[in-house]
Amino acid sequence: MATKQVRYEALVKALHADLYRYAYWLCHDKHVAEDLVQETFLRAWRALDSLKDEKAAKSWLITILRRENARRFERKRFDMSEYEEATITDVKATSNEQEIENQWLREKIAQMPEEYREPLVLQVIGGFSGEEIAKMLSLNKNTVMTRLFRARNQLKEAVDSEPKLRGLHNG
Amino acid sequence: MDDLHIRRSILADPKARDEAMNEAIKNDPAKQKFVHEIDALDEKIAQAMNIPVPDDLYNKLILRQTLASHQQQKSKTRVRLAMAASVAFVMGLTVNFMMFSSTYKNLGDYAIAHVDHEASHFSNTDQANVTLASLNDKMASFKGSFDSTFGTLIFADYCRFDGSKSLHLVFQGESSPVNVFIVPNDDEIEFNAKFANETLEGRSLNFNHSNVIVVGDKKEPLNQWQERINNNITWSI
Repeated sequence: MATKQVRYEALVKALHADLYRYAYWLCHDKHVAEDLVQETFLRAWRALDSLKDEKAAKSWLITILRRENARRFERKRFDMSEYEEATITDVKATSNEQEIENQWLREKIAQMPEEYREPLVLQVIGGFSGEEIAKMLSLNKNTVMTRLFRARNQLKEAVDSEPKLRGLHNG
Repeated sequence: MDDLHIRRSILADPKARDEAMNEAIKNDPAKQKFVHEIDALDEKIAQAMNIPVPDDLYNKLILRQTLASHQQQKSKTRVRLAMAASVAFVMGLTVNFMMFSSTYKNLGDYAIAHVDHEASHFSNTDQANVTLASLNDKMASFKGSFDSTFGTLIFADYCRFDGSKSLHLVFQGESSPVNVFIVPNDDEIEFNAKFANETLEGRSLNFNHSNVIVVGDKKEPLNQWQERINNNITWSI
């Protein structure tokens, strides 16, 4: 019992931040993301004995979270207008230039189609390889690599075409 | 390796580069520039994606788990208690059944089995060593008494007669001991007036609250024994 508790706490400590960020990029809502993470870890606790390989913990948790997210949509459809700025959290009014840029890029990431964003989040936040992502999303590796390419390409194009507009912000 | 392919794979996964790609990049300033650009972009993407995590999320997660497992434990204890109770209940029933249920269906079968079982303890040459007074003392619990001594009484004591307390008397017979049982009436066990196996024979008489069973060798005059008992015994209310 005690060792299970210790294992669980270590798992939460190590992975809750990544999991929360992943959840956030999946649902674009702080509170929903938090609920998803809570639900995920609760399920993880109940099934902790089935986790044999600690290295696989992250992808295991992400799989649980994706299922949990899918269940949320089964229960009810959120009629959020997709990717409105309202769904993107405004960090601080007094943010510095770096924050403004982050915020701008966040919007772009949020505007990306889900199928491009998800592999990119898994790659950048999760640190997973193309193969691992393919496994988690049940896609083949070439598809994942193509989506990753398109995702980055879109962001690159956005960054390349935006500087003038952003320049205006900064006076 | 063509330029497009390299750009494509850098964009797909900037951190995964094989030898051939590294070589190609090293020899081409344009590609180097592209790699730098993408690395910078990736840095920005990572920063943008790195949204702040609520400070108390860790604590909340631990709290929820603690509550959940406490709940689970409580219901487990309840289930265990219920299981222990059912097991105890079933054991009780079983013991009850084994101790107090009749193994034999009728008086005769049991009487014969009892006599067979104890046959080795008695011999027809044993001396009489039970007085009428001590016999009647024992008879008192069956609400009966004998008026006078009849025959030679070798042994008299309480016995378990298929779960009920009974009195077992052994008399000297003509060639082998004759057994007499005083058994309280029991609805569960079938009364039979006459019974026998290869060597033994028995008679039963039914009185108000007791059966008197006589069992002996087929050669023994059991009818006489029965008559003697019948004449001698007095039942109180």
